[in-house]
Amino acid sequence: MLRFIIRRLLITIPTIIVVITLTWALIRLAPGNFYSGEKRLPPAIEKNIREKYGLDKPWYEQYAKTMANILLRFDFGTSLRFEGQSVNTIIRRSLPVSAAVGILAYLLALLVGVTIGSIAALKQNSRWDYASMALAMLGISVPNFVLGPILVLVFSLSLYWLPPSRWGGFPSKNLILPVLTLSAIYMAYIARLTRAGMLEVLRSDYIRTARAKGLSEKDVVIRHALRGGLMPVVSYTGPALAFLLTGTVVVERIFALPGLGNYFIQASLNRDEPLIIGIVAFISITLLFMNMLVDIAYAYLDPRVRYH
Amino acid sequence: MVHINLKQFTALVLLAAMAYSTLSCAVASSSELYFGKTTPPARNIFRYVTGEEPESLDPAISNGQPEARIYMALFEGLVEYDPKTLAPIPELATHWRPNDDSSEFTFYLRRDARWSNGDPIDANDFVYSFRRAFAKETASRNAYMGYYLKYAQPFNEGKVFVRDPRNGNFLLAKDFDDSLPPEPLSGTPVDPAKGEYQPTPQDAQAPADSAFHQSLHTPLRLTLPGDEKSRTKLLNADPKLKDAVAGKEFVPVKAEDLGIEAVDNYTLRISLTLPAPFFVGMLAHQVFRIVPRKAVENYGEQWTQPGNIVTCGPFKLKTWQPYDKLVVERDPMYWDAASVKLDEIHFYPMSDNPTIMNLYKVGDVDAVLNHTVPNAWLHIVRTKQDYMDAVEASIDYLLINTTKPPMNDVKVRRAFNMSIDKNAWAAWRKIVKPLTAFTPTGIFAGYPQPTGDAFNPDEARKLLGEAGYPVTKNSDGSYSCPKFPVDQVEYIYNTQESNKAMAEWMQAQWKQNLGITVTLRNMDWKTFLNAKNKLDFKGFARGAWGADYMDPFTFLSLFYTVNDSGSGWSDPEFVKLLDEANRTLDSKKRYDLLAQAEAFMLKAQPVIPLDTASVNWVKKPYVKGMYPNAASLFAWKYVYIERDQAKWDFGTPSLAE
Repeated sequence: MLRFIIRRLLITIPTIIVVITLTWALIRLAPGNFYSGEKRLPPAIEKNIREKYGLDKPWYEQYAKTMANILLRFDFGTSLRFEGQSVNTIIRRSLPVSAAVGILAYLLALLVGVTIGSIAALKQNSRWDYASMALAMLGISVPNFVLGPILVLVFSLSLYWLPPSRWGGFPSKNLILPVLTLSAIYMAYIARLTRAGMLEVLRSDYIRTARAKGLSEKDVVIRHALRGGLMPVVSYTGPALAFLLTGTVVVERIFALPGLGNYFIQASLNRDEPLIIGIVAFISITLLFMNMLVDIAYAYLDPRVRYH
Repeated sequence: MVHINLKQFTALVLLAAMAYSTLSCAVASSSELYFGKTTPPARNIFRYVTGEEPESLDPAISNGQPEARIYMALFEGLVEYDPKTLAPIPELATHWRPNDDSSEFTFYLRRDARWSNGDPIDANDFVYSFRRAFAKETASRNAYMGYYLKYAQPFNEGKVFVRDPRNGNFLLAKDFDDSLPPEPLSGTPVDPAKGEYQPTPQDAQAPADSAFHQSLHTPLRLTLPGDEKSRTKLLNADPKLKDAVAGKEFVPVKAEDLGIEAVDNYTLRISLTLPAPFFVGMLAHQVFRIVPRKAVENYGEQWTQPGNIVTCGPFKLKTWQPYDKLVVERDPMYWDAASVKLDEIHFYPMSDNPTIMNLYKVGDVDAVLNHTVPNAWLHIVRTKQDYMDAVEASIDYLLINTTKPPMNDVKVRRAFNMSIDKNAWAAWRKIVKPLTAFTPTGIFAGYPQPTGDAFNPDEARKLLGEAGYPVTKNSDGSYSCPKFPVDQVEYIYNTQESNKAMAEWMQAQWKQNLGITVTLRNMDWKTFLNAKNKLDFKGFARGAWGADYMDPFTFLSLFYTVNDSGSGWSDPEFVKLLDEANRTLDSKKRYDLLAQAEAFMLKAQPVIPLDTASVNWVKKPYVKGMYPNAASLFAWKYVYIERDQAKWDFGTPSLAE
């Protein structure tokens, strides 16, 4: 197991280097600068700015400096757009916001999704099954940029129950709508995955054995069926959680949340190179790490994986 | 059976959602006087959406409007924008005097002004702040605003003077450039007998003279590029200059050479390169606001962070949570703290318009920035009594790349202009006024704004024919112009719903009146700026410009060089008229000359003017002292929350004084 983890960690480093290099190159290919605006700056002022931020140096020098800072000191540098704010500070500050919304949304999605999915599987082809799967279909088909505004329209603008946007700290009423909006699609997906997984497991031999032993239906479902039936959900959790943790662009934008996703989209539009690289690298690392956790969890849940 | 159930269920849910949203929309839009809740906040806290997250709290750095409004709470300059007219009103300067040709200004400072840490503010703070703002190392994007100050431009550009080591004399600019205008009074020796200042009753005594003052009052010195490479290149191209420079030494232009002087602790003198009657109006701009020397020197780039920052405005920084909120509170150290009415201002950095409007509707913010009411909402929000309806010092136009055929032909440019019905455009856009000139209509009182070509499709077709692209009428009444190289012309704009609608509208006009279909191409903001600024487009580009200061020159100066506007057009004749205007002291004559220049430019048609924009924002009726002025800049100390409903605003508050 340890060897497995170390091997996975070692692969991470070259992957991150490639990701950063590609990002760095792509930003350079995109036209425009962080300082460009409606009125063209006089060439002398443009020159002053380029000198101040070291953009007048040859590209390989800039690249080497960026890489060295990231790899040796884990320092992504200072944002170009936000004078004097280091990228590391920005990530540290905005990550908790994204993580709070993301984890809450995922927990909610797990709770509701697994419940609905299990019920649907246990009562296959009943009214319950159809209703919950129709709901799940709806959840998958309605994009969050539609669901979000509808929720705002109903609960904020008409009923005046909940704030329509902005971050109100943790915990606060402001969290309810973004969490609901974000969790809908995951909820639906998890419900469908659970149902499919459970249906497969419920027909397997070991469940028949469990039943034959005379276990109660409750024990059969919770101790045996659910454990096997949740395998697809577990493998889905890794990447899903990585994306949720590191911010969801659309939801953070609709609800004006100061999270990582919001910074990411703004940084790209602003051509804020250090910030873009920092966030991309951070998201990649999280994603790789989450996938590794999933593999470990797999081994734990399914003995067959361990043997291979 | 089952299938029907499933479909019915889905349909029902969708229907319910739609019905509910339509219903709530209808409920919200009808009968109410204001858009959303109108309950004043419990405390005197004003909550405002100012736009994008501020780049920096350093007033020398950012050139954005969202930042400008935050700076107006935190920092002061010599003057402040009048809440209604934006004309300069006394702030840290109690009064000022121009010299006889507006090439030098003397400011008299108030003696009771203090920084938020209690330190007194005096003339040296201005000298330091100006020198810092225009220093090369600061790399301010606004530095060009200060280029009127004597030697500010060469200082900012890192240039050098040329000095004769034998006698210490500097080479003079006029000896190498015949096109220079005559020296202003600030460039001629001070004559104590005659004096360039006419005594006024307010200050019987003229400001004290000084050696530095006299050294400034000499003809403009020659400056050359600071880096050796470009200097050598320049000298090689000009043998006369090269000979003159031989054996001389190069002296960098230093901060101490700038045309700003603390005559005493409370008197400040600013000398300009050229006469600039509008100069005092520029001084409320952020780049001229003062920064705390000690904090800047102690903390470097970090001086604007909470805990380090020292301010001098009516408010001081309380908390700053980026992309969430920036809170400023009343500063007891402020010289006029007694008249500051708000306890706190909460600035919310947001840029998604529907999200902003939602927040306003539920009453979580009290006012929002300009241009936030989405087009699709206008028919509802515009009827409300909290909608701000006033002209703006800002125009919309189409840029033409005049350097590439077929648009390098003025006849073609005029034809495209004359085939757009601007009245119809304004009616369609609802909140703008049609424009044929390049300065906004109704902003500069007394300015004899010229008119450009009116809508005239027949003349347009004729012009196009004269240019070699005859327009023929088809049997169905439509037109075609088969010879016109449509592949050489396109229309670029930055991705945004309203820009797209505008592009399609223009495209339809040209198709209808000229039979030419121009290709539309959208791009992201920075890509668009890049294409526009480098003239890397063919045909048309969306253009918009808002005033930097309240003078027609802020619009016309876009064509002062070929590089600035994005059209590639300028003309020596036009530049001469502008220079002459700015040397003219009589403001009416000056306006006449500027109008002549504008008319000259309109004839060349480097742009297609479309409209004078209108402000487009909302504020709750209990917010008083905040006016929809032409630049959407607000002096916060005058803003307050009115709890007496009888005194609330009903409709747009009047801008008349």
